Amino acid sequence: MRLRAAVLAAWLAGAASPVLAHDVAPLPALDYEPPAPGTYTLHRIMAAPDGEVLDLDGRRQRLRTFTRERITLLGFVYTTCVDPEGCPLAYRVFDALRHAVGDMPSLRDTVRLVTLSFDPERDTPAAMRAYAGSRATDRESGVPWHFLTTRSSRALAPLLDGFGQDVRSTRAASNHPLQRELSHVLKVFLIDPAGYVREIYTSTFLHPRIVLNDIETLLREPR
Amino acid sequence: MIAQRLRSAIVTAAALGLAVVLGSGVAAADETCNSPYIAKLIKGQEDYVYVWTLGVEGVGDGSDKLVTIDVHPKSKTYGKVLGSVSVGTRGEAHHMGFTDDRRFIWAGGLAEPKIYVFDIATDPARPKLVKTIADMADKSGYLGPHTYYALPGRMLVQALSNTKDKGGVTGMALYNNKGEFIAAYPMPADGGGDGYGYDLAVNPKKNILLTSSFTGYTNYMRPLGELVKDAEAMKRFGNTMVAWDLKAMKPKKILSVPGAPLEIRWSLNPKDNWAITAAALTSKLWLVKEDQGEWTAREVGTIGDPAKIPLPVDISITRDGKGLWVNTFMDGTTRYFDLSKPEAPRQTYEKVTGKQVNMISQSWDGRRLYITSSLLANWDKGGADNEQFLRAFAWNGKELKPTFEVDFAKEQLGRAHHMKLGSRALKSP
Repeated sequence: MRLRAAVLAAWLAGAASPVLAHDVAPLPALDYEPPAPGTYTLHRIMAAPDGEVLDLDGRRQRLRTFTRERITLLGFVYTTCVDPEGCPLAYRVFDALRHAVGDMPSLRDTVRLVTLSFDPERDTPAAMRAYAGSRATDRESGVPWHFLTTRSSRALAPLLDGFGQDVRSTRAASNHPLQRELSHVLKVFLIDPAGYVREIYTSTFLHPRIVLNDIETLLREPR
Repeated sequence: MIAQRLRSAIVTAAALGLAVVLGSGVAAADETCNSPYIAKLIKGQEDYVYVWTLGVEGVGDGSDKLVTIDVHPKSKTYGKVLGSVSVGTRGEAHHMGFTDDRRFIWAGGLAEPKIYVFDIATDPARPKLVKTIADMADKSGYLGPHTYYALPGRMLVQALSNTKDKGGVTGMALYNNKGEFIAAYPMPADGGGDGYGYDLAVNPKKNILLTSSFTGYTNYMRPLGELVKDAEAMKRFGNTMVAWDLKAMKPKKILSVPGAPLEIRWSLNPKDNWAITAAALTSKLWLVKEDQGEWTAREVGTIGDPAKIPLPVDISITRDGKGLWVNTFMDGTTRYFDLSKPEAPRQTYEKVTGKQVNMISQSWDGRRLYITSSLLANWDKGGADNEQFLRAFAWNGKELKPTFEVDFAKEQLGRAHHMKLGSRALKSP
């Protein structure tokens, strides 16, 4: 427990450096003490949907490959998102968790991170590779972080629908077509090893401390 | 007549030393009172007001229905009914709420454990009934779904009653957005709790869920004139609020708030950490606030003359947390309170807006207000006092000026109750 707190505190202070797009500025402290791991229940909200995705090499994969066997934290992003309460926040939290979990032997082999683009038009596998930078190939932390996209809006649609991730395309203030914005509510999904969504975080409570508690709560469930 | 009986009953109860209070049936309505998980707020001019309407036997098809009214001043059909979607039954239609993506409205009635899901995204001008959720009683044992509060990917439904004895002991049912039941959470009935439920509201940054308390089916479905003569029944109203650990969904503290505390409104000002409610039977405003790490409730103001039983029903907070609209049913009055000092609300305006008024909704900018008339089928006034309407007003900071009105009796629609705002801009496939 002490190790976990110390490790998390170090990463919340902002030790990593940005690679591209979204930075990893320090996260604010929680304004309350969250319930301790194992003192609450995370109900099965729904089954995580499956569908075809593309990995960084452009290979077709099934999403279920990335949402089973481990506890998965999955977030939808688009790489040009600039809303500080949106994709950049998810990126910062994922980055903090990658290091915090990676430094905890009890969790390291049980968790994975998945970032899935909902802008297949611009977020090609090559764009996602640039966005991911060294995080996609980092083996030091021991926590896999998969960066995925889809072939088309058509391939993406059932995944958005299945997760309940609402997205609307809007014009940016500049009205430039390349600066099209995707209006969305940030949602990050905690998925158990059996493929059930057990928590859905939004910007109001997406925080590494809460996510870590939830992961530990899942690990304490009788198997 | 009902007003006289009610007044008489309250006086009698007071003489008996009973903490008598009459609750009403109202809940979150407007653009400033939605769940914080709903991001698509309408911050400009709204195009539609959806009105969840109680069916009346012999009026139109007699069924509960969702009525859509055009409220855009530049529209050719401004102030007119665009259409309605009947659910085919009459189940005491009451409240409704948006899903977190604002693509659907969930609505229900207090006489049945059914929830109706309307698609308002495909064509916001023409909502469509797409699903009926009918398993709440089987899954949870609760009856009378009241408040529909969006959580991420889920809907938390506060019920008013239960199927076992149809009393006020009840709980909350959690569904996912597909309408699949997830879990039930009973209201605490010990440790000072009365087990009753009414409204719920969340402050995610404090990890707090607040709930309030009203009464059960056996009371709210009785004719009001008959109910107020029953001293034992009049004791069965809620006198508590509960502060829950939102993450754990466990009660943290039970707060004593006598007199059926109803609607709960958190200040939307990020610097604030308080919510306000009105107790219907005592006509008092209560402030719930975090004080040195403890959630506390205290009486901070009076609405009208409690001796005259104005019966505060719906309240609506301004987006900056500096003002509060309060509707009182019995005297048909709409009041505005200055909340600059939430510990000491001060009434600065009042206007009689109908012979009976219940719900009040405001636009995000606070310039437009909508008021409806119906409380509960058996509690509404009779004869000429039983006006049924939606009335729209413009607020300039000093005065409410009528802009249009829809007569729900003349239009053969029924009893106008809960409202939600809609926009063409929220259309999505």
